[in-house]
This record gives sequence, structure tokens and C-alpha cells, in this order.
Amino acid sequence: MKYTVGVDLGSTTTKAVVLNESAAVLGRGITNSRSNYEVACQVAMGEALINTRFSLLRGELKGAGLPDTELDRWVRELERLFRAEQYRSQLAVLTRELDRFAGRMLIGGGPLRAAVGRITSQMAAEVAELYAEGTRRKSDFFRDLAGGRYMKLAETESREHGVGYDQVVGLFDKSILDVENSAEAAGRFEDHMAAAVAATGAAGGVLGQAVSRIASLQLEQIGSVGTGYGRQRLPFPEGQIKSEILCHGLGAHAMFPRTRTVLDIGGQDTKAIQIDDQGIVTSFQMNDRCAAGCGRYLGYIADEMNLGLHELGPVACESSAPVRINSTCTVFAGAELRERLSLGEKREDILAGLHRAIILRAMSLIARSGGISNEFTFTGGVAKNPAAVRALRGLLAEHYGDLDINISDDSIYTGALGAALFALRDASRAGADASIH
Amino acid sequence: MLTAGVDVGSAVIKMALLETGAEGTERLVACRSERIRRRDAHVVADGLFTDVLRENGLDRKALGYVATTGEGESIPLRTGHFYGMTTHARGGLFLEPEARAIIDMGALHTRAVAMDSRSKVLGYRMTSQCASGSGQFLENIARYLGVSLEEVGALSLQADNPEVCSSICAVLAETDVINMVSRGISLPNILKGIHTSMAGRAVRLLVSLGKPPVVIVTGGLANDAGLLAALREAAAGQKLGVDIRQHEHSMMAGAIGAALWGAFRARKLQRLREKVAS
Repeated sequence: MKYTVGVDLGSTTTKAVVLNESAAVLGRGITNSRSNYEVACQVAMGEALINTRFSLLRGELKGAGLPDTELDRWVRELERLFRAEQYRSQLAVLTRELDRFAGRMLIGGGPLRAAVGRITSQMAAEVAELYAEGTRRKSDFFRDLAGGRYMKLAETESREHGVGYDQVVGLFDKSILDVENSAEAAGRFEDHMAAAVAATGAAGGVLGQAVSRIASLQLEQIGSVGTGYGRQRLPFPEGQIKSEILCHGLGAHAMFPRTRTVLDIGGQDTKAIQIDDQGIVTSFQMNDRCAAGCGRYLGYIADEMNLGLHELGPVACESSAPVRINSTCTVFAGAELRERLSLGEKREDILAGLHRAIILRAMSLIARSGGISNEFTFTGGVAKNPAAVRALRGLLAEHYGDLDINISDDSIYTGALGAALFALRDASRAGADASIH
Repeated sequence: MLTAGVDVGSAVIKMALLETGAEGTERLVACRSERIRRRDAHVVADGLFTDVLRENGLDRKALGYVATTGEGESIPLRTGHFYGMTTHARGGLFLEPEARAIIDMGALHTRAVAMDSRSKVLGYRMTSQCASGSGQFLENIARYLGVSLEEVGALSLQADNPEVCSSICAVLAETDVINMVSRGISLPNILKGIHTSMAGRAVRLLVSLGKPPVVIVTGGLANDAGLLAALREAAAGQKLGVDIRQHEHSMMAGAIGAALWGAFRARKLQRLREKVAS
């Protein structure tokens, strides 16, 4: 099967979108960006291909005549078990690295090793529970999931066994880098899939056979385009790298053909883009150089509060009286948050204020790029955040009146989708050229 | 009299125990610091306070005054609170009697304070409301590089070709650093680049204070050998003639100063009480 892929290498996350030859989205993949861009790109593409196989599997099973609800339930269960397998293999590498770093400590290595040993075996014992049906996970990324739990257990360790909290946490910071940059930690698709199928107890049946057919299906890449903040560092040839503004414009157009104004709040920059009826960019304004007003602002706040990025919005949504944040700088806003918390102000009110602050900055960018023409589309990682969306809806209504506001669940993939569409155009042009000669 | 000083920073809590005699002798009994690491600052401060007292076989009642400084205004264990500028000046002078200014390198701010020989504050300069080049910024970077803050100084000293790190957003600079890593720039050169940019700011503050001849570094980053080297290079590079000094307890200056001011106030109160009684 032939496919094209677009990769959007952002500052926070790296996204990949896989398209088939008729421009239908087959799979999406996302991972947290890390110091090694090549690995981030590989992992995102790998995830998108895993997702592609799952969607192909759904299609395959539809033909097998199972009732839809049954089929959906089974594939979801399979995916859950697959993710648990992935987590286990990453945890195994983390455990090994923690032990190695602890063993290298000149002073206090013994008690530290024992402490990280206790923490990791506790974490290993919790995997099934973490991935049990209906459990809400605070993030899809191993770093956040394992990290959050590790910090909690580290606190217990330092209280009960007197090991330095700082040291235990320091070991995690070192070890997690190796986990993220190791191919071994991610594991092999076939292995995880086989284990997951075995766990569902359907290995031999119709379902099991469909899985092995899909797992062995050859996927052939006929084109790829990279974009995003880190695009210059992507392992792609120069001709296959496109500006993120162009990709976002085209991606938004593909999702919402009538949209004319796109606001993208990503990790590292905020863009207000005006596009025409073909998805071509006519003007834009961008904010970079300062994290205030970008997604990273919220990421920083989430880190400060030891929350997953996913959890931030829902907490802020509980607020009925957002506070006015005085600081502009992200780091100072973090300090202001802590100060306000210690003064007894409500967590949700402060968080709502922080969300409003970043949207206010975006509003001025929109105005400078030429205001809003219907329809308006909100994309980027921050569009997944309900509190940011709520603040945006409020402010848009205040300044521009009644508008059609498009927000897609997959809006974080807008740039990658645009890139994949550019890749498909290039591939079909190359194909047409080849058939002429 | 035994007094305690607790300096609650936004990243590190420092505590010092001092013994002061009526005739003006001052002796540092013990001091210790602990990183907050996103825990509740009050809880960390309480724990540190209890630990230091226990290790020295002391009881809370043995203390004539518990002085807080920094962000410690609302912690319950205090007798009273002192402003950071005065406590750093006092502590800086205690550690380096020749100093006529301190440069307080903290997590969020860099402050330069000029003082006289009795630690009276004569003037001050502070970085603006943006954390570019702050200690928090350095901490973020170190975390991202998988380096502990204790290792930062030694690594920075090994730099042979420091990467110029312009004054950019503390949060987004993390990505710049990732770029540096992916461009194959060595850890020492990255860290030294950051130290140099921080030192540049600090030295500009000193210039605007009128180039005091002897300066002692205080605050959470004061014991970072790489930063100290960068500060001295920056001062020498501009031919300021400023002697930048450091003490092994430089980081504790705020806590030490608080304890000393605490003793001063406790004595004053005692005298007042005696006056009223007689």
C-alpha cells in the first residue's frame, strides 16, 4: 500500500500524518519533541504508521461481518493492551537506566539504588491498572505518565526511607533522556501487537488472523514533507521542507474549506494566518521570541503545578471568577501562581486567568494580521484545551460578534496534514511526469 | 544569643543559625539549604528548620529570634520578616567585610545592592520583569540537558569555545538549547554561553551602581563556580576594576543576614522591655 507522510516538528510535540493516495487520512502519530529531532521524527512517523495499521484493521474487520459495536469495543481493547505493552517496554529501559545511574553515584549509591528499585517495581505492578478499561490517563506520553507517578513515589521514599528527594528526581531527569532516545524502549510493533492479541484471547480466531494480515502488510512511502519549528533539522532533503505557515494554511483549508482566518497557538509561537479559497496564505502575523502567549506558557504552568498538560484546561474550566494575572513573563507568571496559591486563592481561578492572558495576546495578533473573516479556525496544541477555547470564544464574541468557529479534535495535526498534502501533490506530479516519459 | 535566619527563595530555601554576643561577636553555627523542587515551600522550610535544629541538638525555645527573608513573609515559624535587600547586604558584609556591594543571583531576579561599611543600603538595581537569563532559566536548561545543578559549574569551566546565547526568553531558550545540542555543541560550551549572558546582565547592574570596588556574590546561584568565573571575566572584559568575591557560604548570605538582623531586633526589644519595666 502506498502512502505519503507529513511531519510537523514542533517545540513541544512532533506530529505525523499519513495519507493514502486519495488524500484520506489513514493515521496520525504524536510524540513529545526531544533533544534528538531525528528520533522525534522517527517516533512520530512510527506512531502514525501504528495508527494507520489500526485504522486499516478496523476496515478489514468491517468486511468480516462483525457487528459495529462489538468490533469497536474489540479494537479499542486491543489498542489499550498494545499501549500497555509499549509502556512496559519503556518502563523496563527506564528501570535499567535508573539503576545504572544510581550505581554510578559516588556517595549514597546503595540506598538510592534500593529506592529507585522500590519505585520502579511499584510502577511495574501498576501497569495493568493504569491501562485498565475506563481509566483516564493524564497524558499519552511516557515521560509525563511515568514521570508523574515517579515524583509521587519519590516523595514517599524520601519521607519513609530518608533518601534525598532531589537526588531521586535527578536520576529520573537523566534516565528519561535515554528512554526517549532509545529504539529499544519503543519496542517492535509486531511484538507488542502479538502480546496484545494474546491478551484479548483472540489469537487464533478471525480477529487474530485479520491482525496478522494487517501486521504483515507492506506500507510503501511515496513522499514526505517536513515542517514546523524544527524543520531545518529534520532528516529530509531541502526540497521536502515547507514553511509551517504554508502547511497550517493548507491543513486548515483541507479540514474546513470555507475558513479564511486561522489562529494557531503552538508550543513555541502563535500565528494568525489569513488564507484564500485555495488554502493559500495571503497574510500572517507571528509571535515568537517570548513564551508569553504561546502554548509553552501553559506547559510551563502545568509543570509548575505537577499537572499533565491535558489536565490544565479542565481544572481552569471550573472557575467562575478568573483572576487578572499581572505578570507577562512566563517564569514570573509561574511565580505569581505559586504566590497566589499560598495566599489561598482558588487554583481554578488562577488557571483561568492564565488561559485568558494567553488568548488576549493572540487577539492582538489576529487584529494585526487583518482581523477576522468568517469562518474562523483555531488550531495547534492549545486548541485542545477547553479553557483556552472558552476564553477565545468569549473574547471573539466581544470583539467580532457572532462567528463560525471551527475547532477539530485533530487540530494539533493541522500542520502535519498540510505537509502530507504537499507531499501528495509532489508525489502525484512526479508520478504524472513519469507516465509522460 | 542564638538566632535563626530562613531565606525562602523561589527555588532554594536556605537556613542559618548564628550566635551573637552582647559585645558584638558574631559566629555562624550552622547553615544548610534545600531545593524546593515544586513542593510546598512552607513544608520544605518547616522540614529544613526542624532538621537543622535537631542536628545541632537544639530546641525552638533556644532561639532568641527566627527571622525570615525572601518570600518567607507568611511562614508560621517566623518571629519576624526582613526585606531581602537588607538581609543580603548584612549577610554579604558578614562573609566579606571589605565588600561594598552585593550581587544577588537568585532564581527569578538578579539584584545589585550598594552598601556602606555597616551594611546600610545605599542604592540598588534589579533586572526587569522578565526571567531572561535568570537562575530559573539556568535550572530549566540543566534539567533539559540531564545535568544536575551541582555539576553545572564544573562543566562550564571546561568550555573551550562558548556558544553565544543571546538574551532570549527563558522558556523558549530551552528550545534554542535543544538546537545547540542537535548542532553538536558540547555541554560545557552551552553552559558557559548561558553563564556569560547572565554575567553580562549582572555586570551591567554593577556599572549602573557606580562600579563598587569589592563585590560579593550572594543568592542561590552564588556557589556556581562557572557563573563566578563568567562574572569575573565580564568585569575584567569591561575593565571595571571591580573585585568580585565569593565565600563558601555565599548562597547563605540572605539567611545569615536575616539571623543577624533578628538578633539586632531581639536585643532592641529586650532593651525596650527593660526600660518599660524599670
